[in-house]
Amino acid sequence: MGLWFTAPAILILLIVLAYPIVASFVLSFQRIRFAGEGLSHQFIGLDNYAELLSNELFREALFRSVYFTVVEVIAVTLLALLVAVMLNNPLGRPAFFRVVLLVPWALAPVANAVLWKWIFNTNYGILNAIFFGLHVIDKPIVWLGSPWLALNMILMADVWKAVPFIALLLLAGLQNIPPHLYKAARLDGANTWQQFVYITLPGLKTSIVVSIVLQSIWALKVFDLIYVLTHGSPADSTVLLNYLSWRETFSNLDIGYGAAIANVLFVIMFLLALVYIRALRPRQIKEK
Amino acid sequence: MISNRRFLHRFFIRLGLATFTLLALGPVLWGVVTSLFPLTSLTSRPPDLNPVNITIENYILVLDTSRGLFSGLINSFIIAFFTSAIGLVVGSMAAYSLARLNMPGRNKILMMILATQMFPGIVIIIPLFLVMSRLNLVDTHFGLIMVYLSFILPIVIWILKGFFEGVPMELERAAAVDGATPLQTFRFIVLPISLPPLFATGVFAFIESWNEFFFAIILTRIDVKTAPIAIAEFSGQYTTLYGQMLASAVLASIPVVVLAIIFRKFILEGFVEGAIKA
Repeated sequence: MGLWFTAPAILILLIVLAYPIVASFVLSFQRIRFAGEGLSHQFIGLDNYAELLSNELFREALFRSVYFTVVEVIAVTLLALLVAVMLNNPLGRPAFFRVVLLVPWALAPVANAVLWKWIFNTNYGILNAIFFGLHVIDKPIVWLGSPWLALNMILMADVWKAVPFIALLLLAGLQNIPPHLYKAARLDGANTWQQFVYITLPGLKTSIVVSIVLQSIWALKVFDLIYVLTHGSPADSTVLLNYLSWRETFSNLDIGYGAAIANVLFVIMFLLALVYIRALRPRQIKEK
Repeated sequence: MISNRRFLHRFFIRLGLATFTLLALGPVLWGVVTSLFPLTSLTSRPPDLNPVNITIENYILVLDTSRGLFSGLINSFIIAFFTSAIGLVVGSMAAYSLARLNMPGRNKILMMILATQMFPGIVIIIPLFLVMSRLNLVDTHFGLIMVYLSFILPIVIWILKGFFEGVPMELERAAAVDGATPLQTFRFIVLPISLPPLFATGVFAFIESWNEFFFAIILTRIDVKTAPIAIAEFSGQYTTLYGQMLASAVLASIPVVVLAIIFRKFILEGFVEGAIKA
């Protein structure tokens, strides 16, 4: 009977998840060309992966994805922790602040991208206007015009969008820490910093691991911002792995090669998913 | 001395909260303000934000049927609605049996469901695109809804499983004693008392489907372009019509932001906390 109940869900997930994951690996061992009406498939073994290793754009995209992910995870986790601690304080309890957090989270990612495109606008953007007003700069900065800067501006817009969810996650973790621990620590003469280090951080361990894993996965998937803000320019300097895979497959129509890049991404994320599941496991045993 | 430190402590927390509010809402408010001014106000230096110039002209222009945003909003609604509805029907049954019925391999299935949340969309979309092209499913509502179920269904199952586990079993035992089949018990006993979480999960699925961009850019051509696609295209083609660009972004965001605020209690308790509890 249980099987019967889960059958429709399993059937759908087999079609739209399990089949394509297997097929994606098969495709990555092929060279696929458009031939007349259909596609021609030619088995070429590991050639697509060999091409990856020797391709400079792939190596650069991989490096930039790692940079983007590491910086994003550190920035988001620290900022979210700061926000969560403030919102856990009696002064931060009003529902108003939760609403404030939900707004950037719920915003459509494309709307977010359009918003930052306007803020970063060279001539009329408010970012240049602010720096101009503060006399920090005397001529407008082309935020999305130079390689390293453009990547970091995309990073900033992504961090802004990502902090709220992680902050909510950490806030939920903070609220699970029993208050009597703090009371006992205060009786023992622990100051605020010591309470944070010896009670808050250990109590948040699972939440922090989960945040880091989820945020890494989301950072590796970043696409909308690149698509709207730069399309990978200038000089392919904002091409990250996910975007590269999409471009190779759907713009350059090199489907097998695109699938190979996708699979590299898949393996990285799969390893992260294992960390996530492990992080949740001890808790499960304890509750049983 | 102590009250002094306490005062300072509170002062810094207030300052932090104010900074946080400004940074979180500032960009959004700036976008909304921008959408309410004509282009000439925005491109004068400094920007001329005199309230007498406020206009809804940008909104009227972007909603013109020739622009694609209007049909995009309708397509987004259709796709998000059916994805959530199908996801709820199929997902609630699976979640219930995973929560209640003794199934072989239950934990393995659960872990696999969780892991599906972490697959990069690009991996599944390349093969699906090839199959869907052959079946003429590209640029159809049905095709996009099916693909959206790949990420909606696991979330729905995960959230509802947590909820069903919290439902006391006495009612179901009583129903079983009266001779009800599991399907009857589910349909007439469990579902009616689960309406609020079901509805809230549906809202969450709706927000996620409404906002989706990556699959939509690959699987839509002309007929079923969603609102996010219309906005991205607009911002690529008319790069200097700033007010209209922002107006379309605001229009596409209002439904989901409003839903998120109304259902914040559920999102905070059900989903956010669900992520850190297995």
